Amino acid sequence: MAPFPGSGLAKGLAVTLRTMTRKTVTEQYPDVQPDLPPRTRGVIGLFEENCTVCMLCARECPDWCIYIDSHKETVPAAAPGGRERSRNVLDRFAIDFSLCMYCGICIEVCPFDALFWSPEFEYAETDIRDLTHERDKLRDWMWTVPAPPALDPAAEEPKEIAAARKTAEKLAAAQAEATPEPARSPKPAQSPEPAQEPPPAPSAESTPPAPPAPKPAPKPQEGDA
Amino acid sequence: MSSASTVLTSAAGETHGFLSPTGVEIAFLLVGLVTFGAALVTVTTKQLVHAALWLVVALGGLAVEYLLLTAEFIAWVQVLIYVGSVVVLLLFGLMLTRAPIGRSPDADSGNRWAALLVAVAAAAALVWVVVDAFRTTWIDLDGPAAGSTEATGASLFQNWVLPFEALSVLLLAALVGAIVLSRKTKAEMSSPPVNSRTATKSSRPVTESSQSVPGARTNPAEQEGAS
Amino acid sequence: MNDVLDVALRLLVVFVVFLTFPLIIGQTEHKVMAHMQGRLGPMYAGGFHGWAQLVADGVKFAQKEDVVPAGADRRIFQLAPAVALLPYLLVLLAIPIGPGEGAVGEVVDAGIFFVLAVMGVGVLGSLMAGWASANKFSLLGGLRTAAQLLAYELPMLLTAASVAMAAGTVSIPGILDAFEWWWLPWQIVGAIVFFVAGLAELQRPPFDMPVADSEIIFGAYTEYTGLRFALFLLAEYAGIVVLCGLTTVLFLGGWHGPWGADGLGWVWTLLKTAVLAFIVIWLRVTYPRLREDQLQKFSWTLLVPLSLAQIALTGIVKVVIQ
Repeated sequence: MAPFPGSGLAKGLAVTLRTMTRKTVTEQYPDVQPDLPPRTRGVIGLFEENCTVCMLCARECPDWCIYIDSHKETVPAAAPGGRERSRNVLDRFAIDFSLCMYCGICIEVCPFDALFWSPEFEYAETDIRDLTHERDKLRDWMWTVPAPPALDPAAEEPKEIAAARKTAEKLAAAQAEATPEPARSPKPAQSPEPAQEPPPAPSAESTPPAPPAPKPAPKPQEGDA
Repeated sequence: MSSASTVLTSAAGETHGFLSPTGVEIAFLLVGLVTFGAALVTVTTKQLVHAALWLVVALGGLAVEYLLLTAEFIAWVQVLIYVGSVVVLLLFGLMLTRAPIGRSPDADSGNRWAALLVAVAAAAALVWVVVDAFRTTWIDLDGPAAGSTEATGASLFQNWVLPFEALSVLLLAALVGAIVLSRKTKAEMSSPPVNSRTATKSSRPVTESSQSVPGARTNPAEQEGAS
Repeated sequence: MNDVLDVALRLLVVFVVFLTFPLIIGQTEHKVMAHMQGRLGPMYAGGFHGWAQLVADGVKFAQKEDVVPAGADRRIFQLAPAVALLPYLLVLLAIPIGPGEGAVGEVVDAGIFFVLAVMGVGVLGSLMAGWASANKFSLLGGLRTAAQLLAYELPMLLTAASVAMAAGTVSIPGILDAFEWWWLPWQIVGAIVFFVAGLAELQRPPFDMPVADSEIIFGAYTEYTGLRFALFLLAEYAGIVVLCGLTTVLFLGGWHGPWGADGLGWVWTLLKTAVLAFIVIWLRVTYPRLREDQLQKFSWTLLVPLSLAQIALTGIVKVVIQ
């Protein structure tokens, strides 16, 4: 391997010298804000429109740092002659970040995508009690959640989108059968194409409604649809 | 010390009065007193490391005396050899064996009076020899430095070549001996394992010696590791 | 009166060099080491790229409490930093920066011996600190220091003697006056041995076993705090200045340069010293620490024979030339 004694030593010197001429990787944090990727475990934001007070997050939390209070309300029947429904209304949602260990289990288990990671991390307090972030604060964090990163070029299409597309295609096929002539073309369109954000909808009425505020994956709405 | 003074006898002055001392003479005397005091403390203190450090003071004082007599070369060699190496070796030995902080109650050998007698006798003999040899010879310190490197070298290689060469051969032998000893231990290390630690050391195919003595390896496992 | 002024001025200049150059090297080490590891290093103190970091460190050290352990040998413990630091100040006096009498602190007749002798004394400071701290790690550090000194003093002396043989004098300005460019290839082995042995004597990485922090905390300096600790650190960096300056002067021709030797000699000396100091830092960043036995073996089986061979070569060439 070594052509002459000491070549390894010279190689070591070359490595350090080369590194010295390269750009450094230091982030000058207080002066320059770090460029953090989405889903960075900074703070947890709550999108309370999606919350159904199912309490899964509070129960799964390893250190029990999520506090949820709620009450039940009855919703009048939607259609005349229908049955009244009861609904959980959120009164308090708080996360104690002095206890939180940033495991992310609450976000994983939330069935309706009401909790999100935000890369914000500058919320140190002088009083430990201030680290219990209440509902309004958690909602404010929600607006700092960035869009999820784009999928890899060869990645599989997200399940929700795949399901939505399938229904859309089925519907289009049904329509095409109903009106024999014109709608032949859209069927084979774009199926091999990997991952596009909104499924190319041949018929507008079948696409699921756009998710309300945030950018994250529109799971619940599609589940409903 | 005597060699230094023989070098310095070149110039003889006329009569010098004892009552008109120059600055150099006063400094010489003061440094001499300090050196003497340090030497006394060295042999009387019961703290071993302190004794070694006082020895530094005594040897350094001697070097200053040489300097005052313009024997610059001897002075720096004194510092280099005695303060820099001999005392370090001494301290090394002390620290490696026993060097408690504070007094060692057993630092007195019990031959105190015999030692004093020998010391006084030796000092008297030396003083007598030196005084008898030089009597009223004065060294002219203002003239060309009698103890400069050039003068010392000339004297050494004109008058004292044989002892010098004999000494240097002796020292070279010691040096080569040290190298041979360290080489020998290395060769032993790469031979079949004496104990487990040397075995792990020799089984690594790193050192150049392991390549140079392939015949010494008899253990097949080691050869496998080295290939 | 003029003489007194002259001497005072020289001493002042040497003292200022003694106080500033180690800091400059220390700051360079901060920055170079950082960039070699892909970092930026200090960026705040002083505003521009953290240039005042070491000044800030000094202020911090000055504010710290000066603690002497209860079991320590008080007097020696307190004396040790001075013993470690002062020799380097004395050595700086004898290193000439340019040609002529005006560019050296003090012309010493037996310059090489003076320099090496005094540098050896500096190690006594580490020994005293190691013993007087009443701490086993300090004692181990002191022992390693002593062992290292004994191993590396010899090759240093031998290679310096080789240069003295080549020049026919032991005075440092005399050596420089006799310097020719072809001494560089002639004495190159000696130069490398001298530099490496000097690194080991200064306890610089990769020869920093006496302060190996992962094994013996900080060796002989473990118990030191505040200013005394800072003095030990200063001694290390002053040692780098001295070693680089000495290597420059003895082996690299000091003020001699390919052009502009007249009047610009001091620039050459400083430039060569700076390059060597950079190499010291570079070696520290690149290589891991040797083991104690590897260090001893390295000295006795490689450096000492090499320096003896250099002396033989010097002698042969010298005789052939004459």
